[in-house]
Amino acid sequence: MLETAVLIDLGGAPLYWHAPAGRSSAAIPDSRALWEALWLHRFELLGVAHTHPGSGVPSPSCEDLTTFAAVEAGLGVRLVWWIATMQEVVALRHIGPGRYDYGVDAQRFGAERSGWLGELRRLSQGGAVSRV
Amino acid sequence: MVRNRDHALRPGEALVNVTWQGQNGDLRDPVPFDAREGDLKGWVSEALRAGEIPGVHARGHVDLRDFVVDRFPPTAQTPWPRIFVRPKTPFG
Repeated sequence: MLETAVLIDLGGAPLYWHAPAGRSSAAIPDSRALWEALWLHRFELLGVAHTHPGSGVPSPSCEDLTTFAAVEAGLGVRLVWWIATMQEVVALRHIGPGRYDYGVDAQRFGAERSGWLGELRRLSQGGAVSRV
Repeated sequence: MVRNRDHALRPGEALVNVTWQGQNGDLRDPVPFDAREGDLKGWVSEALRAGEIPGVHARGHVDLRDFVVDRFPPTAQTPWPRIFVRPKTPFG
């Protein structure tokens, strides 16, 4: 299991797969390339999905929450933040009032009907990026 | 001394770029390339709050605690050192 991320556009399609060297079963390292992709796609971006190990219902780490807040502050927009395990997926959005107050959104924003969720899980199991 | 359109940089100095609230701009004054991260964030925060970064209009509270600093030496395309203050992007 290797944590992996993908940027999702407003239509629910993948924009950019992020499977960098140095990712592990516990973390995806800081990456200027990911920030540049976020900035490049900022006008068409719905959110970012990433994986956690295991198969249970995921919850965000402290690292996740501080990254959510930082990216939203940089882009000036609120995003959807999906976290997927091998069997579950949740979608989080900022609910406030605090900077790091993110809550699960019941809509899930189409994740379970999407094609990207299966591909994200495949990449998280060590698969190669086949499309961008 | 290295000059671009808006700045004259002495040896060891760099231009600082920040992205904040979907906007992007450079600090008016060069800074030491090896300035400490905490100092850089402090200078940028102060400039954002004061509205002193051309092209960036800060709304609300400015807090760069979850931002990181990237430093790049001169290149053939950009013959002066650059420092970028940007959001961090790791997941855990």
